[in-house]
Amino acid sequence: MADFEPRIVTFCCNWCSYAGADGAGVARLQMPTNFRIIRTMCSARVDPEFILRAFSKGADGVMVLGCHPADCHYIGGNYRARRRIALLRMVLEQYGFDPKRLKLEWVSASEGEKFQKTVCEFIDTIKALGPTPLQKEAN
Amino acid sequence: MGFFSKIFKKEEKAEPAKKAAAPVKDAAKEAAACGCETKDANAVVGLQAADLGELLPGAPPGGKIKLAIYWAAACGGCDVSILDTNERILTVGDMADIVMWPIAADGKEKDIAAMDDGEITVSIISGAVRNAENQHMVKLLRQKSKIVVAYGTCACFGGSPALANLVSGADEILDYVYTKTPTTANFQADYSKDKPVIPQYSYQAPEGELTLPMLFDTVKTLDQVIDVDYFVPGCPPLQETISHMLKAVADFAYAGVALPPKGTMIGVTTKTLCEECPRKKENARITKICEPYQVNIDPEKCLMDQGILCLGPATIGGCGARCTRVGQPCRGCYGPTEDVQEQGASIFTAVASMFPIREDDGIIGEDEIIEIMSTIKDPLGYFYAFTLGKSLIKRAVKEGGQ
Repeated sequence: MADFEPRIVTFCCNWCSYAGADGAGVARLQMPTNFRIIRTMCSARVDPEFILRAFSKGADGVMVLGCHPADCHYIGGNYRARRRIALLRMVLEQYGFDPKRLKLEWVSASEGEKFQKTVCEFIDTIKALGPTPLQKEAN
Repeated sequence: MGFFSKIFKKEEKAEPAKKAAAPVKDAAKEAAACGCETKDANAVVGLQAADLGELLPGAPPGGKIKLAIYWAAACGGCDVSILDTNERILTVGDMADIVMWPIAADGKEKDIAAMDDGEITVSIISGAVRNAENQHMVKLLRQKSKIVVAYGTCACFGGSPALANLVSGADEILDYVYTKTPTTANFQADYSKDKPVIPQYSYQAPEGELTLPMLFDTVKTLDQVIDVDYFVPGCPPLQETISHMLKAVADFAYAGVALPPKGTMIGVTTKTLCEECPRKKENARITKICEPYQVNIDPEKCLMDQGILCLGPATIGGCGARCTRVGQPCRGCYGPTEDVQEQGASIFTAVASMFPIREDDGIIGEDEIIEIMSTIKDPLGYFYAFTLGKSLIKRAVKEGGQ
């Protein structure tokens, strides 16, 4: 399992987290390259179907990053997102996935460091969990 | 050629327009009589019965077509729904030779196998595919048929049989059913303590080998096994929908009218069930989840507003909202709307947004959110009750199973 490099899909909201990721890049913070960012206008734009599709195509983990509560550009988008993610996590658990494979975190535009920390921690979590259980069946 | 069709043959030919107009009127009358007191009952039911006409003008010019109706992993409700067309089922007899229909007519596997490829005009197949027999028969029918219709929710989306995908596989199902349920557990304890009696796929009897079809680990929808031309969702499909399907077949057989494009969903609208539902929505929030028996249901108000989880917002319309009209929530048997694959994801997106944002939402942690959402029990079973077979993940997975 030592050479397992997870593939992680990250959804970042346009107003906070994507800017945060940008900040991390500008500050040249070192990060593993296991994640791919998809920019959405809001964390609430991330339909649970997107996340399930990512898992069904073999993603080992999915991160959804949004503005801090009370800080959403659209006032209440992140409140809805966190409710959906909570429900989706229950569904994933029922399927048999470890719910830790789906992470919701709040990263603001100025928190480049937090972005780096979140990504590193999540990649470590996924490395400990191993490859997605779905991939194995497809092979 | 039917008795009545001989009598009415001339009239029907003379007045095709009248024949076509009549059923719509009847349907309106029917809707009024069936106790839908809302004034717009007919306006919201987008789909009127496309009647075959009282009678068809005898056998089609090119001779009777061949029709096969088969059930795979189904409860039989779909077959009964075909019989729901009442006396019009007799006109089907005018139009077609029913070469196979396990519930109602003779016709065996060997008769079908002896046919030429494409000899059957239409095969209507209900039920999901979950064992070797189902698979063999649907593949055989596909080979022998020009048109295959996936009839009912199990054939289209997996339906309730596909919920079996949430356990590890066939062995677990057999083990549970034959040793763990209270009745079988007692039986096994009393009579076969050492080695529980579980059906074997083959058994060597003195007269020869007896076999049972192999149970698959994963329940599949019909189009995951064979090529399907048309889909008719519903659990079971409405009588109006069936009449639409039969009319399309009849028009094709009698007048050579072109069939709808391949892959068409028959009997659905383009919008969700909420468009058809007469209940008034006030955009209230869900603060408590109830079962229908726990509340006195207001006949005018939206069920979601009353705390009853209804799958209407994510389910394609076409059924005329029959369940919600009588105070039962939609369970989603018609499946997702056209552009959506995950009906379950679609509905819990909607449901989650209906949970009110609290005053302290800015400062509470994720644990509290989980607590709020845990009021929904068994989200996977509830939101994917009919569409698990067609969902993105499709079946249970096992972490770390090396």
